[in-house]
Amino acid sequence: MAQSPAVLGTPRQRVDGKLTVTGTAVYASDFKVDGMAYGCLIQSTIASGTVVEIDQSEAEKAPGVIAILTRQNAPKLQALPEELTGNGEPGESRLPFQDDQVFFQGQHLGAVIAETFEQAREAAALVRVRYQPGELRTDLLGLADQAIEPRMWAGRTKLQDKRGDVDWVWANMPQVRLVDETYSTPIENHNPIEPGAALAVWDGTDHLMLHVSTRGVDLTQKVVAAAFGLPIENVRIVCPFIGGHFGSKGFSWSYFLVAVAAARIVNRPVRLVLSRPQMFDSMGQRARTIQTIGLAADENGKLAALKHSTLTHSSMIYQYTEPCGSLTRSVYSCPNVQINHRLVQLDFTTPCPMRAPGEAPGFFALESAMDELAVKLNIDPIEFRMRNYADKDEFDQRPWSSKHLKECYDRGAAKIGWSSRNPKPGSTKDPDGRLVGLGMATAVYPARQQPAAAKVILSKDGSIVVQSATHESGTGTYTMMTQFVADSLGVSMDRVRSELGDTQFPPAPVNGGSVLTASVGPAVVAACTALRDKLISLAVDGPSAALSGQAKTDIVITDGRISSAKDTSKSISFSDLLTNTGNQTLEAEGSAKPGDAYQKLAFFSFGAIFVEVKVDPDLGEVRVTRVVGVYDVGKVLNPLLARSQMLGGITFGIGMALMEGTIPDMATGRMVNANLAEYHVPVSTDVPPDFVVEFLDMPDTNMADNGARGLGEIGIVGAPAAIANAVYHATGKRIRDLPITPDKLV
Amino acid sequence: MNNFAYVRPNDIDSALNLIRTRPKARFLAGGTNLLDLWKMGVEQPETVIDISRLGLTDIAPRPDGTGLRIGALARNSDLAEHSLVLNQYPILSRALLAGASPQLRNAATVGGNLMQRTRCPYFYDPAFPSCNKRKPGSGCGALNGYNRMHAILGQSDECIATNPSDMSVALAVLDAQIRVLGPGGERVIPISEFHRLPGDRPELDTTLQPNELITAVDLPPMADTKHAVYLKVRDRSLYAFALVSVAAALTIENGSIASARIALGGVAHKPWRVPAAEILIKGVSPDHAAFDMVADRLLQGAHAYRYNQYKLALARKSVIRALSVAAAST
Repeated sequence: MAQSPAVLGTPRQRVDGKLTVTGTAVYASDFKVDGMAYGCLIQSTIASGTVVEIDQSEAEKAPGVIAILTRQNAPKLQALPEELTGNGEPGESRLPFQDDQVFFQGQHLGAVIAETFEQAREAAALVRVRYQPGELRTDLLGLADQAIEPRMWAGRTKLQDKRGDVDWVWANMPQVRLVDETYSTPIENHNPIEPGAALAVWDGTDHLMLHVSTRGVDLTQKVVAAAFGLPIENVRIVCPFIGGHFGSKGFSWSYFLVAVAAARIVNRPVRLVLSRPQMFDSMGQRARTIQTIGLAADENGKLAALKHSTLTHSSMIYQYTEPCGSLTRSVYSCPNVQINHRLVQLDFTTPCPMRAPGEAPGFFALESAMDELAVKLNIDPIEFRMRNYADKDEFDQRPWSSKHLKECYDRGAAKIGWSSRNPKPGSTKDPDGRLVGLGMATAVYPARQQPAAAKVILSKDGSIVVQSATHESGTGTYTMMTQFVADSLGVSMDRVRSELGDTQFPPAPVNGGSVLTASVGPAVVAACTALRDKLISLAVDGPSAALSGQAKTDIVITDGRISSAKDTSKSISFSDLLTNTGNQTLEAEGSAKPGDAYQKLAFFSFGAIFVEVKVDPDLGEVRVTRVVGVYDVGKVLNPLLARSQMLGGITFGIGMALMEGTIPDMATGRMVNANLAEYHVPVSTDVPPDFVVEFLDMPDTNMADNGARGLGEIGIVGAPAAIANAVYHATGKRIRDLPITPDKLV
Repeated sequence: MNNFAYVRPNDIDSALNLIRTRPKARFLAGGTNLLDLWKMGVEQPETVIDISRLGLTDIAPRPDGTGLRIGALARNSDLAEHSLVLNQYPILSRALLAGASPQLRNAATVGGNLMQRTRCPYFYDPAFPSCNKRKPGSGCGALNGYNRMHAILGQSDECIATNPSDMSVALAVLDAQIRVLGPGGERVIPISEFHRLPGDRPELDTTLQPNELITAVDLPPMADTKHAVYLKVRDRSLYAFALVSVAAALTIENGSIASARIALGGVAHKPWRVPAAEILIKGVSPDHAAFDMVADRLLQGAHAYRYNQYKLALARKSVIRALSVAAAST
């Protein structure tokens, strides 16, 4: 399609880079409107029980207070329909203000609305809530006998599954085994730098504008419209920038419904921004997982049986299951596989997807176990994986759309210097006496396309605006849309402006599951194709057309001009064409959806991650000193932004491996480290300077248009296991319980 | 955050007068700890006395020309990078730079660092029902709760929190003297007596009396800067509280230890120093056996809880490491 030098596939700076780094990008909490009041949440300080009384007498007298919203005066919210609360759309299906039940610490019981944020916060602290405490459920292992076995994750992934007969093989065949080893990961919080934020602006009683930090403007529109009983077209959601989400924003979280309700009762716009501690109880988390893996292989290292069981938890008000075993069926060739997930409902806040839901903790377990069995078999870990290389997706016997994992292993191994690795644990020390270890793991993540639409608007001055109700979470959506338009219409990127994050634009999917580029890119191409057709028609068929008489198939579009390939004297600029034909603008819409290939083929991105760690032999401090990640993600559309995504993803994995974890107090169900001083995410010095990310850059010709698969999440997959495997190689200690903090190695 | 009065005196006398006459008044220096506690509702001052105009930022030799006098309002960053500190007390610089983040160090003062409260989630979050420090008599949430970061030495059943300061651990081995002004005039508190163990009054972190103001920290000269190290073990490479830290300063003469000063951080309600342990290795050769003996004595009586058992081994290994590095430094 591109007739000018292509911009897709070349490194491009973010078109919104300057806005972002100069603080001029407008985030949800930056929007201001006249007459705006401020809300602060009233939250439960028990995890289970009933609210007996909310004493607001002191709070009412506090300076600046406009109103106090509680169940007593809240507008009646409508229950959300099944399509918004069922398997497909995680979040809190229970709306606020429904009853006096308390299900977790920090549950929203209401809000104080005041003239300033500080006044609202002070008054909220003066609200006294009296409770009848209930029995507390915080002990995952202790309540394991009450676990249920949920059927599906997100309405599409089976959580209980098997092929072959694992039990028979286990019972009857003598093999080299890893017997039901347990791996665990703690509760983790997303901790984007931008907290949840909402500004609700009612126009009368039936039109609502909501500025909110969401990665699903269309989904949030449906949730708000349903809850407040409004026609969907009366609700507009706007979110031009997201300050990171990692899975947390979107869904039906209570706080923005509280903001909308608050604005309703005070008849003024209300801004409600979550505090950092509230980011630990108001917007989801990754639940703790306790996983058991059993592996059996013959003496040559061919897998015969693979069992992966997960015990995890959800809140009392929504059954969300961290799907740790979902890809265990697909990664390796193995005739007998069994996966199982068990879910206990506890008095903790509702979990939700967090970057690589399922795969991140699941691959920590699976890839640690593979390393352990490789050690037992005395086979090199890469060789062991190659002996079990899956030539098709054995889960449903579909061929891969495109798989070059072997090349990832080979290139990564060469880059990190794997061949000179002495496999004996504890065999290598650096000059400072620190133990050195090399570890590796496989990374896999599904590639998907979802239906999306876009609109392009060409103006008489030759500039082009492209619109879609998609999202910019800091990863480069604006840039990607601009690149697609530039290539599709043969214009330079600076002639194109992207607009997104508004329900008034054509629909796009929730920003999650690494689907954005593969979904929105083809929609933008479709819109551009439609615009191109209109331009050619105008030029060839129009009354005063400069190219009349030319065959449409001979028309080329390049550098903002429509020209005849046969007769170079026949040419007209976009602007002249619009002027001559009396058009101020010319618009076209387009949409794209997954084609038949999605039924026939298995679409995945692949990668191999290698790390070097250094471990203090006495004090147990682990530092990642080198990373090499090689990825097969289809065609790379913008190597600069793709690399940034991977650096972020792998760094996320370093955090998961070495430091992250939200810790509940078992006696109260309250989190003890709900702040960024004690919930540790990696800082700059935790990221190794020697950080190699490479892409095979092999287009997946079965993907729509551009051959690009997603890469938002694959970076974290495998990284924790590679680090744990490297720690084992360095020290001989196998840490199966994340994070790998010094106390576990002393 | 409650409504409050804000005053900014221009001289020390006015500041002392204000703290004496205003109810529920607090001095505000860098604010890095007070504001955190205030926003959480742990502190609710009615008057905030901003002492940023009092001067007290000088870092210079003591009036007699020896040692160092550090103004109470000197910023942690300025102190850590000061040439006199880098040359004469490098261990103090290292401890300061091991603490907090650059942004916090730019705001935090020396006096404020001394005054920071012990760190414990049950203290910091008033939604936790039990904390004897925050609400005397309400019990200790950490005792049977999450106590991975907590004390193994000198604690009581009333409180098992730890002092989080890195600077104070270095000051402990430097035998710092804390100069304070109060209604009764000036007095000097040795660093070893400045912070206190919880006992049955865990709400008191220091021996500073009400209405007293820290004006300076004095350091005697350090004879041997070569054999001094600050070691900090933590969960991430920067901006994390110590699991265990060790300040160790040796003087070595003719191959034997002439003197040893060792303080532990992250293990007690105050920097943990045991003079009796230090005497044990006086005159002996700086080897593993000697360091092992010191560690034994330093950790005598240590008691751990469910989640901080690791500190018993980690503290021992950290002491041995710090002393080994200190002895080997040339």
